[in-house]
Amino acid sequence: MDTRQDEIISDEEIEILQELMNIAFGKAAADLAEVIDIHVILSVPYIKILQATELLDYIKDEIKDYNNINIIEQKFWGKFKGDALLLFPSGAGKKLLAILEHEEDTTYESDPIDILERETLMEVGNILIGACIGKMAELLRDVVTYTPPRIIVENFPHNAIPGKQYDPNNTAVILKTVFRFDEGDVNGFLFFVTSHESIKWLGEALHKFMEQYE
Amino acid sequence: MIKKILIVDDSSVARKILRSCLLKDQGYEFYEAGDGQVGLEKFKEIQPDVTFMDLTMPVMNGYEALEKIMQFDKNALVIVVTADVQLKSTKKVMALGAFMVLNKPLNKEDLQDVLLKAQKILHKAG
Repeated sequence: MDTRQDEIISDEEIEILQELMNIAFGKAAADLAEVIDIHVILSVPYIKILQATELLDYIKDEIKDYNNINIIEQKFWGKFKGDALLLFPSGAGKKLLAILEHEEDTTYESDPIDILERETLMEVGNILIGACIGKMAELLRDVVTYTPPRIIVENFPHNAIPGKQYDPNNTAVILKTVFRFDEGDVNGFLFFVTSHESIKWLGEALHKFMEQYE
Repeated sequence: MIKKILIVDDSSVARKILRSCLLKDQGYEFYEAGDGQVGLEKFKEIQPDVTFMDLTMPVMNGYEALEKIMQFDKNALVIVVTADVQLKSTKKVMALGAFMVLNKPLNKEDLQDVLLKAQKILHKAG
């Protein structure tokens, strides 16, 4: 862990958050499996905490091999509030469509996004973000509401990340995972950008969660 | 009697939660492993009465570790404790020989109920 991450949230809090995210992602996978009748193979999620202003550089580095990216964004409000961003390399929507329709994926990353792909990404994003945030909120005894999802499609990844709009004091919680299906893998990153106040609440809520197991 | 309990989970928080859910006055001996590979080695070494196994772990996942444990000891009592609540995953681990599946977050009553069932099996086996 770097110094800055340690200043935002402690090692112990990160470990608790990791376990809760694991549970939340399990719920998200089950919801997805139920809706689209596929089996999601869970992978170990990687968590990193950054200042919101560092998010852009982090994502640019992670996705440097991608020409285009698609981002599904949903804002959420509760004691824990912020922006949830689910990022897929472009072509992921087509891959997901192929998986859903059990057809061979014959499209290319450079193909333009079409309506069906857009709707698939929105639906998958809505399920994954809603289940992840919702389960975490439930575990931490919070209640959240959401805006409808919106999709951002960009040829230049750095244009798609709304990093500049964030307050420098805001914090980005990164949950990096690969969505693996029996039928093929889709890389995905889930980010939460949240305020300093929310992170403070999160730290306290994580300790309260563990108190029941003392 | 259940004495030796092996907990295999990459999360130290999950291992702590599991230990805290077990009754304190039963004289359990706890052994822990952070991935399936180490879990398998510890299983062979200590031959626990009951093993709690997570599924999503680095190095060797819980499916593989469970399969190898069952090959080593077909009577092993392995309780899968997982965040993966998909029906297909549950069916898969039961087919591999898991004794039971518990979903995270753990509930003390469910856990103690499962241990009671494990206790009965061990008692019957003598």
